[in-house]
Amino acid sequence: MKFAHIADCHVGGWREPKLREVNKKSFISVIDYCLKIGVDFLLLSGDLFNTAMPPMDSLRIVVEQLKKLADQNIPVYAIPGSHDFSPAGKTILDVLESAGLMQNVCTGQEVEGKLRLDFVIDPKTKIKITGLLGKKGGLEKNYFYNLDKKHLEEPSTRYKIFMFHSAISELKPKGLEKMDAMPVSLLPKNFNYYAGGHVHVIDNSSISGYENIVYPGPIYPNSFSELEKLKKGGFVIVDNGHIQHLKIEPHPVISLDIDCENKTPEEANSELIDLLNDIDLKETIVTLRAKGCLRTGNPTDIKFKEFFKKAYAQGAYFVMKNTNKLVSKEFEEIKTNKNSVEEIEDTAIGEHAGQLGVFEAEREKEIAKEMIRVMSYEKEDGEKTADFECRVRTDVDALLEL
Amino acid sequence: MAKGLIISGEFGNIVVREKTGKKLELGELLMAETGDQKILFQVFDLVYGSQLSQQNLELVSGLRLEGDSDMELMDGNLRNYILAKIKSLVTIQNNKAIAPKTLPNFFSSVRAVVKEDFDFLLTKTNHRFFIGNLRSGTKVLDLPIFLDGEKVLSHHILISGTTGRGKSVLMSNLLWHMISETYCSLLVLDPHDEYYGRNKIGLKDHPEAKEKLVYYTPRNPPAGCKTLKINLESLYPNHFNGVVYWSDAQKQALAAYYRKYQQKWIEAIVLEKPLDVKFIEATTDVVRRKIMQILHLNVESETLICKGIFDKEAGQTTVKDIMGELGSGKTVVIDTSEFDGAVEILIGGILATNALNSHKNCSSDELRQKPVISIVLEEAPRVLGKEALERGPNVFSTIAREGRKFKIGLTAITQLPSLIPRDILANMNTKIILGVELKPERQALIESAAQDLSSDERNIASLDIGEAIVSSNFAKFAIPVKIPFFNDIVEAAKQISVKQNFEGVKLR
Repeated sequence: MKFAHIADCHVGGWREPKLREVNKKSFISVIDYCLKIGVDFLLLSGDLFNTAMPPMDSLRIVVEQLKKLADQNIPVYAIPGSHDFSPAGKTILDVLESAGLMQNVCTGQEVEGKLRLDFVIDPKTKIKITGLLGKKGGLEKNYFYNLDKKHLEEPSTRYKIFMFHSAISELKPKGLEKMDAMPVSLLPKNFNYYAGGHVHVIDNSSISGYENIVYPGPIYPNSFSELEKLKKGGFVIVDNGHIQHLKIEPHPVISLDIDCENKTPEEANSELIDLLNDIDLKETIVTLRAKGCLRTGNPTDIKFKEFFKKAYAQGAYFVMKNTNKLVSKEFEEIKTNKNSVEEIEDTAIGEHAGQLGVFEAEREKEIAKEMIRVMSYEKEDGEKTADFECRVRTDVDALLEL
Repeated sequence: MAKGLIISGEFGNIVVREKTGKKLELGELLMAETGDQKILFQVFDLVYGSQLSQQNLELVSGLRLEGDSDMELMDGNLRNYILAKIKSLVTIQNNKAIAPKTLPNFFSSVRAVVKEDFDFLLTKTNHRFFIGNLRSGTKVLDLPIFLDGEKVLSHHILISGTTGRGKSVLMSNLLWHMISETYCSLLVLDPHDEYYGRNKIGLKDHPEAKEKLVYYTPRNPPAGCKTLKINLESLYPNHFNGVVYWSDAQKQALAAYYRKYQQKWIEAIVLEKPLDVKFIEATTDVVRRKIMQILHLNVESETLICKGIFDKEAGQTTVKDIMGELGSGKTVVIDTSEFDGAVEILIGGILATNALNSHKNCSSDELRQKPVISIVLEEAPRVLGKEALERGPNVFSTIAREGRKFKIGLTAITQLPSLIPRDILANMNTKIILGVELKPERQALIESAAQDLSSDERNIASLDIGEAIVSSNFAKFAIPVKIPFFNDIVEAAKQISVKQNFEGVKLR
């Protein structure tokens, strides 16, 4: 028995074309590796694409790769993740399933108000697989509360896999304190392997009688801070019970920091250029994080362009910067301790939630976050403006339950 | 309808003759009306009175016992009677309560109280803190008593009573009502695992439990509850203050390990990593042994093995999660039933320290927005007792003294308040007193109460199960209350469950 476990592919996820390409390359290389070593099946624990209606080029690559697996009779068992649903409840995974390219294992029936999930039995290994989807804002937690666990926990002589797309409170790593999470006790017991997704960290834990709760991490980092922290993508191969975390590194990541605290722009510029001395940047992705409060001048006086120019001259594949924590004396009063756009959005939404008085504060928060996501969808290739408007309008109506 | 007439006495000790058949009770509330004022009284003692001399009383009783005589010397209702000693609690004028400073008129009649007499108690605050229903003797009025919860919780509460008098029911009631409130959060260290209701009725049955109650347990968590795991890197040397006895040298060794190894200091102690400063071997050996014992750590093949709730991998965000939960007005119950006292105190200490520090670091504007956090401590003398404090001050004694400034309070439960030093008892500005049989314990409560309870000793001793007296800086008088049965409250709150839709799941 040999299977692969991937999650959080977020194909099409980066705005920067070069990084979007790296992300696609990572997906291609994972599938090619699975074909090469001949896995019995592949588990996909949510967030195959970055949006529910992915761009055509992302879709094409995914279809091509899944087709290769299908041609080799390697089944793909999947659950939808929080990024896989439009507010109207649509997902491209349905299309892929209809085409026979994957099987959504999140199926079942409602019995006396409880959700009784079905097991899918892999024809070759006879392994029993089931799972529960992930939703935005951790809303799948209510599904877990209403899960008929007794049925799932019945002892079996067969290897059992439970797929999920949720963070587990007890296993959350530092730095993700604010992530919506659920306690491990909501998972059904007596499974041999818990194939997790959603948390972009690599982990393999056992807790409170639950063995092998595995997060493979994203197949490629999906944000600046993830690039800094993870450097590489990852996936898992389970070979006769032996769990192996494998890395994907299409381009080495070099993360640099510059502390501008109490420095003049000139001092910071000189230090900035020196950062690149004696480093081999060939085909690397360079991340630069600048922080601190400048003694004089303002952040625009720092010559990041020259830094970028020098890095590219030294052969870097892609260079990016983060100046969220760089301020000047003049603007010091505008402070933020948030690292990402999402965190800043969350904070702003949280501070104003409940003011409309139309929904309860918590519901308003969810709607606001979801609305930002819906409104950020771009027009697809070849999509008519009227169709695009109609799509966004339908999503907004569904979100507001109009 | 008059229940008696005021016939003599002095301020604080007025004598009322009971009207035959009206049966005054210890602790009963009475009202006298004089002009535009009403005066609220409470019975604190009952004695016999008679128009006959002691000699004649003995004679009459002898005739009845030895003879079979039905002799009556005077009209029965006039001859022998009950005298009640009452004290004034408040004067009510224009629906406002003021401290009593006058005596009622001679021969004023006193009557039983009615609900409407207590309109002045209706709290105007949004921070409602429900204690129980107003009680007059054994009679319970349909009048729920609320205090200003933000003040009460931040200025500490002491709940005291002998075993079986209803401390747990009272606490369950308080927690039940607090779950719905957003102005406060409660952190409950539950050494008997009795509040959540794992196998019985409990807080889990609250209609808002899923959103507002968080239960941490080290063993077999019920669905939706969290496994208690605390990462070793969340620990700091000061968390161990008061947990066990540490000599000066041992304290210095703890600090030295932390200085050198920072977050990995526990691992360094257990794996005997070198220090920059010299300690004699016996000191580091004892430190290592104590740390391993408290945290349930072991070493196998030079690898740290975690056998308890303290873990080197899991629980990295537990402390922050709990702080977040408390910060958002949730009630957090921690099942400490499996731990020995030292571990329970350590866990409580870690959380209390974090809560206190997080509130200390807030600006006054930020602090205003935060809910008041109350830490519920069962068997409080374990951390607030004289003996515990001799091991050195701990975070709980710090909170008792200065927590109110930072909206952090204690709810201390004990049957032995006399073990708590007077200065700490005095800082517990609300005392909920249940039946206490031991005189020294009653004395400790009376001496530190917000109101003068010096004449209430008999009253306190006679409190039945579920009856309590609430003495608080934030109450106009020491209020007698009856704690409702917890099961009745839970039953009344039962709701029809809302049907869940399973959108996104492919249903057959």
